[in-house]
Amino acid sequence: MTEANITSAKIAARNVDVFYGQKKAINDVSIDIDNGIVTAFIGPSGCGKSTFLRTLNRMNDTIAGARVDGQILLDGEDIYAPSMDSVALRARVGMVFQKPNPFPKSIYENIAYGPRIHGLASAKSDMDRIVENALTKAGLWEEVKDRLNDAGTALSGGQQQRLCIARAIAVSPEVILMDEPCSALDPIATARIEELIDELKESFAIVIVTHSMQQAARVSQRTAFFHLGSMVEYGETDQIFTNPRETRTKDYITGRYG
Amino acid sequence: MSKSDWNSPEAVRRLAKRHAAEKRFKFIGLAAIVLSLGFLALLLVIMLKNGLGGLDWDFLSGSDSTDASTAGVWGAAKGSLLTMLVTLLLSFPMGVLAAIYLEEFAPKKKWIEWVEVSINNLAAVPSIIFGLLGLAVFINTFQMPRSSPLVGGLTLALMTMPVIVISGRNAIKAVPPSIREAAYGIGASKVQTTFHHVLPLALPGILTGTIIGMARALGETAPLLMIGMRAFVVTPPDSLTAPSSVLPMQIFLWSDEIDKAFVQNTSAAIIVLLVFLLAMNGIAIYLRNKFEVRW
Repeated sequence: MTEANITSAKIAARNVDVFYGQKKAINDVSIDIDNGIVTAFIGPSGCGKSTFLRTLNRMNDTIAGARVDGQILLDGEDIYAPSMDSVALRARVGMVFQKPNPFPKSIYENIAYGPRIHGLASAKSDMDRIVENALTKAGLWEEVKDRLNDAGTALSGGQQQRLCIARAIAVSPEVILMDEPCSALDPIATARIEELIDELKESFAIVIVTHSMQQAARVSQRTAFFHLGSMVEYGETDQIFTNPRETRTKDYITGRYG
Repeated sequence: MSKSDWNSPEAVRRLAKRHAAEKRFKFIGLAAIVLSLGFLALLLVIMLKNGLGGLDWDFLSGSDSTDASTAGVWGAAKGSLLTMLVTLLLSFPMGVLAAIYLEEFAPKKKWIEWVEVSINNLAAVPSIIFGLLGLAVFINTFQMPRSSPLVGGLTLALMTMPVIVISGRNAIKAVPPSIREAAYGIGASKVQTTFHHVLPLALPGILTGTIIGMARALGETAPLLMIGMRAFVVTPPDSLTAPSSVLPMQIFLWSDEIDKAFVQNTSAAIIVLLVFLLAMNGIAIYLRNKFEVRW
């Protein structure tokens, strides 16, 4: 056992490199992500923050030519070990995407699909409870409870994104990864999602990638700054934004580049 | 540039030229449509004039005969139905599975590229070659009965499958990647993602391609010549292995007759074939609208 395995972190990444073909997209990133808080990844476009996020639930597996070196531990278990099933992993580490992507099915079906394929509900009443519970946690229940059979795609953009969050919650994950979840939304919908993220951190470890430094400052307790595929600095959000240790971090948050 | 420039003779001339170009294009486009539809209408009128008189119950329920007045189309129509059944049962599942594999599962390797090129080429092979293949493989090697809907259907399935693969791949490719990510993101496996989410969304496109391929197979004559489906058959086929003809072949055979009385039969059979084709296209449109998912 290496020392990396002795950690209380929910997710522990150790010396992670990511390659797309010959190109190295992520260079030697090590980070501990804890339960009960929101961790934000910030950095300029193309810095690798989304790429790194997608290694945390092996979403990069679906991309031909992508390769991950190093170790990523979820509760001390190597998620890239041959014994780890990527399907089971993604049920434990859920994901919300940049553009709301509900299935072109009913609102109910959008939520029920995950629990059904994982066998989480044995009866219709169980499923109804899961759906209501997930929609309630995502703050969408009051708005949609009378039209659960309407198409999920007929909702507004902000509602669709909350539906996607509810869909992720419904399979009871331990971690929720969010890849710029508000970049396609207007400010009011964004504010609602941010409130939601703040509530959800009680139940899930949340990792959010964001372009907006204000958003990172508002919703997160810890922030990691990425630049050119490396993690430059990682610390308490307050410290990163008020008293960054690295010049590059300081230049970025003061708008020198980005 | 000041505002009044738009009224200068130079500007007016330029604008007039643009409007003229637009008018010219509209006229040429309309002419192209009228010309092609005109020929179709002409064909229909001639066929209806020549054939409508021969379309009665005896004609629809009878089979081929040396006597034009007792000859009917049912034998050939039943042959066509049986042949199409074999073609559909074979080419649809094979074509769809091949399309799914190539699009979603196949590794991006050299040999897959070869497979892709081969399938595209297969769709362009002249149909008579498929007839020769059917003759050599199904009849000579596997000793299947010649002139039968079974062999005809197998041969046409070979021809139809590449069409289904190509249209199927395009339909699958058109499903947005975000849907796949959504499914992967909640822990769906690749097979679940494909069959629960991608395939249903691609189905309208796949069905349209399938029916276009089937309609082409229904009108096909050349490959069936090679496997002996031009025999003179006086009883409708009662099994997949019984000797049989098909509609376009019946039309070909009758149009070859010296007896003038067969002219009416030929036209009437063409009407029956056209009704078949229209029905298939109608089904295609119905299915597409039924399964189409609105975003």
